[in-house]
Amino acid sequence: MCDSCGCDLNHGHSHDHSHDHSHDAKVIEVHQSLLAANTAMAEKNRAHIEKMGAVAINMISSPGSGKTTLLEKTIEAIGDSLRIGVIEGDIETDRDAARIRAKGVPVIQLTTGGACHLDAALVHKGLHLLEKEPGGDQLDLLVIENVGNLVCPATFDLGEHHRIVLVSVPEGPDKPAKYPKAFISSQVFIISKTDLLPYFDFPVEEARAEALQLNPKLLVMDLSATSGQGFEQWLDYLKGICRK
Amino acid sequence: MHEMSLVQGLLNQLHDLAREHNKTKVISVCMDIGPLSGVVMDSFQFGFDILSQENPLTRGARLEIVSSPVIYRCSGCDAKIEEESKPQACPACSETLLYPEGGDDIILRQVQME
Ligand SMILES: Nc1nc2c(ncn2[C@@H]2O[C@H](COP(=O)(O)OP(=O)(O)OP(=O)(O)O)[C@@H](O)[C@H]2O)c(=O)[nH]1
Ligand SMILES: [Mg+2]
Ligand SMILES: [Zn+2]
Ligand SMILES: [Zn+2]
Ligand SMILES: [Zn+2]
Repeated sequence: MCDSCGCDLNHGHSHDHSHDHSHDAKVIEVHQSLLAANTAMAEKNRAHIEKMGAVAINMISSPGSGKTTLLEKTIEAIGDSLRIGVIEGDIETDRDAARIRAKGVPVIQLTTGGACHLDAALVHKGLHLLEKEPGGDQLDLLVIENVGNLVCPATFDLGEHHRIVLVSVPEGPDKPAKYPKAFISSQVFIISKTDLLPYFDFPVEEARAEALQLNPKLLVMDLSATSGQGFEQWLDYLKGICRK
Repeated sequence: MHEMSLVQGLLNQLHDLAREHNKTKVISVCMDIGPLSGVVMDSFQFGFDILSQENPLTRGARLEIVSSPVIYRCSGCDAKIEEESKPQACPACSETLLYPEGGDDIILRQVQME
């Protein structure tokens, strides 16, 4: 057994790298994604969610763009027309889950303990926990709120059907250009906190055009959870993807 | 990003491969890291340099990183455009709406072991 790593490889010759390696060298063609394990688990999650009869969305943004607030207002506004369940992702605390629970829908908090994103294995665990909550196995829409971070979550498929990226007006319109991956991999781009437009220089049309340049298939919406502006389009969109 | 944890995943995979092929030393590793993967190549290299030292299997191993280009598809004429960075418009029909295809994966291509 190897002393330095505890693995059970038999290190026949311990040496530094000064000799030539012509003996026994073998080239192995692997061609496997480092993300393969996550992708396989994400496919399982998607199948699981579909079996539940639900559609899942994955919400991605920087910290504080308004993901939880949008969810709170959405639950209030949508009433009985959609049964919503939520998986909250944060590095620490269950504060976001507590906010959602107060709205009366099934919710599970996942804490990553430091990791900057949710992955499919964590969400898989979350799905099983959610199903044990009252009403958690009878959903039309499953919302996964990712860890606040505009970079890393974009790499990890969680098993969602639609990915939604948010940028709030105070963050500025240059985010699609600076963090392209989140926008390239999403289906919807929400410009949030539009009630603050009078106080910030945020040319909505320019931001929209720039995001579409990166990903022509993006559906771009702008809304405010505070004033309710743009909510009708957002609610119609959610009902549309759940076919309700 | 989390290059360190990606490198750790790679090292785990190298251990599995070594066991499977009865090898005890990794000489070189070739990765294909897409330009849209979000991975910072220098950080990945740095993480590999540090973490590969911690273990006799990978100590001294060489990491080669290649980056397959993104292919852009024209929404107007369906042309395939292959360039280093995203072109402003389709060279064939001047359409500006171009969809990226691929270029976002992190692939272990090849390992040389003894
Ligand atoms: N003016 C204004 N403020 C908003 C709006 N939506 C959210 N906020 C405020 O923005 C702050 C952050 O909102 P959250 O909903 O907690 O943001 P989040 O994206 O869930 O944050 P993390 O989960 O920490 O990433 C809070 O103080 C909200 O009151 C809005 O539409 N307009
Ligand atoms: Mg939140
Ligand atoms: Zn070992
Ligand atoms: Zn990260
Ligand atoms: Zn064209």
